[in-house]
Amino acid sequence: MLLEISHPLELFKLTAWLDSMLRSLMPDWGALLIEFVLIGLVLLLAYAVIALALIYIERKITAFFQCRLGPNRVGKYGIIQSVADMVKILLKEIIPIDHVDKILFYLAPFFVIVSSMLTFGALPFGNGLHVVDFNIGLFYLIAVSSLSIIGVLLAGWSSNNKYSMIGAMRSGAQFISYELSAGLSLMTIAVLSGSLQLSTIVESQTYVYHWNLFRGHIPALIAFVIYLIAGHAETNRGPFDLPEAESELTAGYHTEYSGLQFGFFYLAEYLNMFIIAGIATTVFLGGWNPVQIEGWNGFNEVMNWIPSYVWFFAKTGVLIFLSLWVRWTFPRLRIDQLLNLEWKYLLPINLVNLVVMAVLVVFGLYIK
Amino acid sequence: MNFQAGRLIMEKIKEIILAAVPEAILEDKQVLTVTVEADQLRLLAKTLHDNKELPFDFLSQLIGMDWGDSLGVLYLLSSSADLSKQLLIKTAVKDRQNPLLYTVSDIWETANLNEREVYAFFGIRFINHPDMRRFILNDDWHGFPFRKDYDEDPAINPLSLESKEIVDVAPRIIETPNGLKEEKVPVFDKDDYIINIGPQHPSMHGVMHFRTSLEGEIVKKIDVHSGYIHRGIEKLSEKLTYPQILHFTDRLDYLSANINRHALCMCVEKAASIEIPERAEYIRVIMDELNRIESHLLAWACMCNDLGAITAFIYGMREREMILDIFEKTSGGRLIINYNVVGGVMFDIYKDFQKDTKAFIIHMRESLKEYHRLFSGNVIALGRMVGIGIMKKEDAVSYGVTGPAGRGSGWSCDLRKYLPYSIYDRVEFTEVIRTECDSYARYLNRLDEIEESLKIIEQLVDNIPEGDFQAKTKAIIKIPEGQYFQRVETARGDFGVFIESHGDKNPYRLKFRSPSMALVSIMPLICKGEKLSDLIGIGGSMDYVIPDIDR
Amino acid sequence: MSSVGKYFTGIFKGIGSLLLGMSVTLKELFTKKVTQQYPENRATLVISDRFRGELVMPHDENNEHACTACGICEMNCPNGTITVKSKMIETPEGKRKKVLDEYFYDLGQCTFCNLCVISCPSHAILFSNHFENAVFTRSKLLERLNHEGSKLREKAPVKKPAPAVVPSDGGEKVKTEGEAKPQPKAEVNVPVKENKEEKEEKEQ
Repeated sequence: MLLEISHPLELFKLTAWLDSMLRSLMPDWGALLIEFVLIGLVLLLAYAVIALALIYIERKITAFFQCRLGPNRVGKYGIIQSVADMVKILLKEIIPIDHVDKILFYLAPFFVIVSSMLTFGALPFGNGLHVVDFNIGLFYLIAVSSLSIIGVLLAGWSSNNKYSMIGAMRSGAQFISYELSAGLSLMTIAVLSGSLQLSTIVESQTYVYHWNLFRGHIPALIAFVIYLIAGHAETNRGPFDLPEAESELTAGYHTEYSGLQFGFFYLAEYLNMFIIAGIATTVFLGGWNPVQIEGWNGFNEVMNWIPSYVWFFAKTGVLIFLSLWVRWTFPRLRIDQLLNLEWKYLLPINLVNLVVMAVLVVFGLYIK
Repeated sequence: MNFQAGRLIMEKIKEIILAAVPEAILEDKQVLTVTVEADQLRLLAKTLHDNKELPFDFLSQLIGMDWGDSLGVLYLLSSSADLSKQLLIKTAVKDRQNPLLYTVSDIWETANLNEREVYAFFGIRFINHPDMRRFILNDDWHGFPFRKDYDEDPAINPLSLESKEIVDVAPRIIETPNGLKEEKVPVFDKDDYIINIGPQHPSMHGVMHFRTSLEGEIVKKIDVHSGYIHRGIEKLSEKLTYPQILHFTDRLDYLSANINRHALCMCVEKAASIEIPERAEYIRVIMDELNRIESHLLAWACMCNDLGAITAFIYGMREREMILDIFEKTSGGRLIINYNVVGGVMFDIYKDFQKDTKAFIIHMRESLKEYHRLFSGNVIALGRMVGIGIMKKEDAVSYGVTGPAGRGSGWSCDLRKYLPYSIYDRVEFTEVIRTECDSYARYLNRLDEIEESLKIIEQLVDNIPEGDFQAKTKAIIKIPEGQYFQRVETARGDFGVFIESHGDKNPYRLKFRSPSMALVSIMPLICKGEKLSDLIGIGGSMDYVIPDIDR
Repeated sequence: MSSVGKYFTGIFKGIGSLLLGMSVTLKELFTKKVTQQYPENRATLVISDRFRGELVMPHDENNEHACTACGICEMNCPNGTITVKSKMIETPEGKRKKVLDEYFYDLGQCTFCNLCVISCPSHAILFSNHFENAVFTRSKLLERLNHEGSKLREKAPVKKPAPAVVPSDGGEKVKTEGEAKPQPKAEVNVPVKENKEEKEEKEQ
């Protein structure tokens, strides 16, 4: 069995050792307390580091798409450009705006960042690197990630700016619509794997043909594509960046924000991109499972040497690249095109797809 | 050609004019000039606009004048069916305190903004004009700067750093059975949701200001404010010599810099009877066409950017860079190229000019294919362009929208065909016309015109004759007394230069006809009922350049 | 075609057009990048000889220039960029003669129209292609073009004084510019200490 093969670089031995050591030194509640704090710190750190890395990667890849070089002044190949940007944004003045609804205005960025933080915490990054494993994990992800729309709406409403207002209203319409598609396409896979628990979903996808994407063949593929589109739309990134719509609304709902508050929106945008790709990886592409092909034992052995978290980030990275590629190729949709796409194409296809998947599962027509 | 037939038609027009207004004075100058009294202006205008022989339905230029003892307006008319037929109506008012003329904005819509400009500059008010606010200048400006007796003392109009509230109230003066009545009407309804698009806005192509009232995402009404980059070029020109004025033309529509300058040079050369060497003509036309390609590339790039495809923007800029390099090596300038001078061009072409240009042509053809693959067929882009911003041909003519935009509405209006200047009668190219009237037609027109311009350059670049590139001119160029017109086809359409000379080394009055002003003036009409996002997209498809409007 | 057929062909055509666009950007991902790495590429940077960066007055090794202080350039300048100050001196032969005292050029006002250069009868000024003109204050843009202690070159360099506005030959024009190119900036321009504010009046 796979798990019996040695995983020399995995972190679960380290975490297990840490846990047993803490428990041997102090009562259970103390060990748990220390572990909670540690995990919280690690997550926060990972959150910031991943966001910074993504900002750099996006700028670089965008530049290459556009025949430019991208950031290349701060550090070798501009590698610490986004660190410099972060320092700048931390030092920047938060400009007080006249006639804003102060409480809501300052509260809005927190909604956005907390929601993405909550989702981030529930992702299985690797074997043993899974903070909370709810039995309704998938449901939890969908539920908390939709909190961020409240932040966007509040930001637009409280900014006392007509551009922000229009941006927020667009965002509301867009987010609620695409939430449906994202939810339904994940549901399709829930039907296939028979569980909402992320760990179960991941562990059921051992060999490559067991990955949900291949196991459920056509309906799973359709669900995958729809999830990518809907997820992309949920992150408010081009071609679905109507709430910001630079050429129409200058910066949409965050026009009036500056300094760290703007930084929150900015970080959350990039992290949401990561989270969507992460969920897609977990649900469709076998999560942190390495590429394993039945019968190729030598190959499997080699693949197993690559730790699970690397697999997770690599798969996520491919999906992020796809999202960047799309973003930097297409023009922006108009609001009616956006809603047409959802309500006339994605949603009906998705509903039919869900039924098809249920039929497949009932009759056992998936790859076993 | 049918030169004889053309003469016959103009004779008929003369008869029609005299039949309607027997007191009119007709003079055959560079352009047939009809002088009428102010009270008969509307009758003449209506007659000319509605006549069956050759309806003069295109008001190309509307020029305010101050002749010292009287103020007046010149109307340069043309026919949308045949742009080579031109006619000038001249009218004057003696009253300098409260000069009043009847509006023609109900006959030609393009007169709307132009008459507001004349009011701002000369103080002539137009009876029955729907909205007699000053255009370009602020409402609280003291005096009328283009009048010859204007007091230039800066203390009268001090520079104010205070923010001014925009008052959306339009004064107007209307004719009632009981005489003239002055009144003020609000521009917007009381509870309209108004957003300011511009003057600082990422996709306004300069400092344009649209006050837009919205209903949700739908545009209800647009009120155009302009003048944020007004430099008074026409006024400044009245004190400068002709070679000095030349450097302003590059700063009007900076994307058609060379073509604008070509127009002024030709106007001065014609008036001063300066013969241009053949070599200079070839170089000028090649540079004009390169300039046109450069402008269309930027227009394409900006339109893609307006629609949210930022990568396409960079590709357009990349190809444009090749033209800019050719410009820099030829003239020493990239955007403001300062190349044409009275009598020819400033420098000869450089050694590798032909080689670079031919390399560019090959590269550009490849890139055009790439543009089509990347953007022209894209389903999202099609949804945002096809059937959006419908501009009917009658509207285009009435608002004077020429250039690729006018030709996208099925109006054949290429001045290179109708009034072939320089050596355009010797090159073969097709006038690109589409009849869909939407953003997509205008978008495709530009890309097709790039191809046509490449063809023109191909025909010329290997055949540049030997010889001088500049004619010898007098040290001080004086133009004989008279009125001179020159119209050229810039990347945005009909660009006109009007010079009234009193025989001096500087013009008595100089006026530039701005094609962008017509493009902007029709925006409120074609954007009405479209979505806010499409307002931006339509603006991109019209491709106006603001310094051209503000002058 | 039935509406159902349209619905599905619409989907596939749309997806096809999107993929076509993506293939273009994917190809561009691997093409050569066009960014110019200024200022690292200073050594390889080619600026056209005709590029008009700033006005200079070439001086020869004897610290002599060709300006006769006739003021034609000042007259021809549309923006009041140039101020020529002349003084009367007594030549050794005892004749009184007008010579150049100070030649001021305001880079901040200049629109680089080249009228001064093409109208100069003695080819005393020309535009160099030096383009790095950024400074921290506007007053530094006001330059004095003639060097300290420089004087008029005696032997007339131009046989037939060209008529104003027309340079007689284009080839010659390029050549003179080519000669000016090696002149480094520091040698040509002596920044002027005092502020000449009154020049701004002409630019309204």
